[in-house]
Amino acid sequence: MIRWPISYPFALIVALLAILPVVVLFVLASDSVQFFDAHNLKVLYNTLLLMFMTLIGAVIIGVPLAFLTTYIQLPMQRFWIVLYIAPLAMPSYLGAFTFYAAFGPGGEIKNLIGLSTPSIDGLFGAAIIMSLYTYPFVLLTTRAALSSLDASQVYAARTLGLSLAKSLWRVVLPRIVNGIAAGALLAAMYALSDFGTPAIMGLDTFTRVIYVEYNSFGLAQAAMLSIQLLVVVGLVLFVESRIKGTQEKPSQHLLFFPKPMQLTGMFLSTAPVIILSIILPLAIFFLWLWRDGAGHFDLSIAWNSAHASILAAVVAVILALPLAFAAIAGKLGRLLERIAFVGFGVPGIVMGTALVYVGLQLPFLYQTLGLLVLAYVLRFIPLAVSSIRAKTESLDGSLVNAARVLGANRYEALRRITLPLSMRGIIAGAALVFLESMRELPATLLLGPTGFETLATYLWRVYEAGYFGRAAIPGLLLILISAIALTIMLSGEAGVKTKLTKGPSK
Amino acid sequence: MQRRTFLQQLGALGLLGACPAILPQHLAAAPSMVSVKQLPKLKGELTLYLGRGEGGLYENVLDAIKKRNPDFDLKIRRGPTAALANAIVAEAQANVRRAEVFWAVDSGAIGLLTDKGLAQPLPEDLTSQLRPEFRFPNWAPVTGRIRTLAYNTERLKASDIPDSILALAESDLSIAWAPAYASFQSFVTAMRLLIGEQKTINWLKAMNKRAKKYAGELGVVLAAERGEVDLGLANHYYTLRLKSGKPDATVDLAFTNNDAGCLVNASGIVALKQSDTAINFIRYLLTTEVQSYLASEAYEIPLIGDLAPPAGLPALQTISPPKVDLTQLANLRPTLNMMRKAGVL
Repeated sequence: MIRWPISYPFALIVALLAILPVVVLFVLASDSVQFFDAHNLKVLYNTLLLMFMTLIGAVIIGVPLAFLTTYIQLPMQRFWIVLYIAPLAMPSYLGAFTFYAAFGPGGEIKNLIGLSTPSIDGLFGAAIIMSLYTYPFVLLTTRAALSSLDASQVYAARTLGLSLAKSLWRVVLPRIVNGIAAGALLAAMYALSDFGTPAIMGLDTFTRVIYVEYNSFGLAQAAMLSIQLLVVVGLVLFVESRIKGTQEKPSQHLLFFPKPMQLTGMFLSTAPVIILSIILPLAIFFLWLWRDGAGHFDLSIAWNSAHASILAAVVAVILALPLAFAAIAGKLGRLLERIAFVGFGVPGIVMGTALVYVGLQLPFLYQTLGLLVLAYVLRFIPLAVSSIRAKTESLDGSLVNAARVLGANRYEALRRITLPLSMRGIIAGAALVFLESMRELPATLLLGPTGFETLATYLWRVYEAGYFGRAAIPGLLLILISAIALTIMLSGEAGVKTKLTKGPSK
Repeated sequence: MQRRTFLQQLGALGLLGACPAILPQHLAAAPSMVSVKQLPKLKGELTLYLGRGEGGLYENVLDAIKKRNPDFDLKIRRGPTAALANAIVAEAQANVRRAEVFWAVDSGAIGLLTDKGLAQPLPEDLTSQLRPEFRFPNWAPVTGRIRTLAYNTERLKASDIPDSILALAESDLSIAWAPAYASFQSFVTAMRLLIGEQKTINWLKAMNKRAKKYAGELGVVLAAERGEVDLGLANHYYTLRLKSGKPDATVDLAFTNNDAGCLVNASGIVALKQSDTAINFIRYLLTTEVQSYLASEAYEIPLIGDLAPPAGLPALQTISPPKVDLTQLANLRPTLNMMRKAGVL
C-alpha cells in the first residue's frame, strides 16, 4: 500500500476550498437568467478590445525598455531597472483616479498651469492606464529572454553583413517572441480582471457590469457574467501555459556602450512613461494633501486595512504550506497545487460576488471579517505557495533523507529541516499576500463588514462622492505600501518576480 | 395616495418660502418642534445602512449624534442607496437581517422596502413631528429635493435651455449624468410612469449619445461648472452647495416644466427592527437642530415645523413638478432593465 505524504489531506482541503467560488457561481447562475443579450455582446467586445489594446500598449512600452535595460550599459543600472519596474507594484486604480482628476477641461493640470489637456477616459483612457501599469510584465519576461541569448549569433550576422537593426530584428527578435508573449499575456490577464480602472474610466467591461449587477442585487446575472469572464480568463491562462520559455546555454549577451548624448536621448524618450505612471499620481496626491490637509483622515481606516491583511497573510501561509509540500511530494500533490491556483484567475469582483452568496446562505459568515479574509486568502494563496515552493524546491531532498536515516521521524524532519529552510520563502509569501490584500478593492467593497472601511474602499468612496481632496492620505499610503511590495518582489526569487507578483490579482 | 399629497405639499412648501403672507396659517398647523435637548440619550448598538458615500454632510450629523451620545455604538454600512435597499431585501429573504435602520437618499428605495413589508411602523408621536401631510405609518421623510438641470452660465443662457426633458435629447447640448445614482434612477422611473416605457428607452438612447457618465451627481455639477459639459442632470442641492463654497461658480439651476425633469423626491428613513434605539435615533434626525443644519449646510428642504427652505432655491411656485405617486417609484426593477437595455447602466 502506498503511504500518502502527510501534506496530502490538508492540500486536498485547501484545493476544495479554492474551487468553492467557481462552484458557487455555477449554482447561482443556474437560476433562470438571461444568458446573453446585445448589451452583453457590447461588454464582451469592450473587454476584449481593452485586453488587446493593453497587450499591444504593454509590448510597445515594455520591449524597448527591456532592450534598453539589458543590452545597454547604463550608469546606475539597478536603479533604472527598479524604476522601470516600479509601476508594476502600483494598483492601476490609483493611476486611473489621478489621471481622471488631472486631465481634461477643469482638471488639476488645467487649474495649476493653465494647460488644456484632453480628458482621459473611456476605452482609450483605460487602455493607456492599463498599458502604463502592465508593461513591466513584458519588460521582465523580455529581459529574462534577452539576457539568456548568446551574443555570438548576432556577431555572426553582423560579420555576414547585416546591419545592427536588421540583425536585432532577424536574429534576436525571433528568439525572444515567447518571452514577450508571456509578459503580454500577463498584461492581458490584468486587463481582464481589473475593476477600478475601467470603472473610473467609465468603460463597460465585465468587471464593471458585474458590479452594477451586484448593486441592483442581480446576483444571478452577476454570476452569469462572472462565468463568462472566467471563460475568457481561462482561455488566456491556457494560451499562457502553452508558451515555453527559450532555453539557451547562458553566455555573454550583447552589451552596448552609448555616448552620453545617445544615453540622454534614450532616457528622455522613456521619461514620459515614468512621469505618467509614477510622478503624476504622486504629484496629484501631494497637491491634494497640500490643499486639503490631512486632518480629516481617520487612522482607524489604515488599521482596518492592516488588520485584515495580516490575518489574510497568516492564514494564507498556513494553508499554503501543505500545498507547497504536497506539490514537491508527488504528482497528485502537483495537481492539488494547480487546483488551488484557481483563485489566481478569479477576478476580485467575481470572488466577491460568489462569497456574498455564500454569506447569505451561511449567516454566521455574512458581513464578517472572516469572509473577507477568506476572499483574500483564496485569491492570493498562489503568491504564498510559489514563494514557499521557490525555497523548498531548491532544498536538497537528501537533507530530509539524512535526517530520517539518523532516526528523525517525519514530523521531526519537517519541523527541524524543512520548515526552517523554507522560512525565507514563508516570510516573503506572507509579505506578498499582506501587501496585495492591503490594496485589494472590489472584493473588499462587496464583503467588508459593516463600518469597516479600508484604504482602498475609502479611496473608492471618495471618488464616488467627488471629494477628491480626501484621497491624499490613503492614496499616498497605498503608494508607500506598493513601494514596499516592490522591494520584496525584487529581493524574491526570479520566478516569483516575473510570474506572480501582481498578475491577475487585481 | 398619501405620497401624492406629500408631493403637492412640497410644492406648497415652496409657496411658503416665497409668500410669507401665508406663513402664519402653516405655523398654526405646524406641530411643535423638538430639540435634541428634549430627547433621551441613545444607548447600545445600532446598525445603520447609509445610502451615501464619503464626505456627505450626513456624516457630520451622525458624528454630532455620536458625540452627544457617548454610550451609543453606531455601526454604519455605506453604499449606493439602491444597492443597500436591494441588499436589505436579499438579506431578509435569506433571513440574515443586519440593518436596523436605513437612511436612503431616495424615496423609491424606501418604497421597495415598505412594499416588501420590511419597514416597521413608527410611533404616532414621532410622525406627528412632521407636518400632517408628511406623516406616513412606516417611514419618515427626512428632507426634500428637486431634480434640476445644472447649467454652465458661460456656455448657456437660461433661455437656451429646453423646458422639457424630452426636448433635451433633441438639443445639441452636451450633458453630464450619473445613471448609477438612486435619485437619477427614481427620475427615470417617474419618466417611465409618465410617458411609458418605449418613449423613455428612446429618450435614454438619444441622451446616451450626448451624455457623459459620472459616478455621482456632485461630479455632474462640477463637470457643468468647469465647462466639461453644457449642463448636467442632478438634485438641486449639489449646485447650491457648490455655489455657497464658490460664489463665482459658473453654474446655475434650471427647471423643466411639468415632467419628470423636475420631479420632487425625498430622502427618508425606515426602521427595519422594532427597537427603542432605532426609533429614538430617527427622532434625532427630525429635531430642529438637524433639520436646520441640513437646510442651511446641505441645502436640502426641511420637512418639519416652519423651517424655511434653503437659501438660493428659486421660488418653487414657478416650478411645476409632475404628478407622480412616489410609492410607484419603488418599482425599480423595470427601470434598471430598461436602462440596461438602453446601454445606460
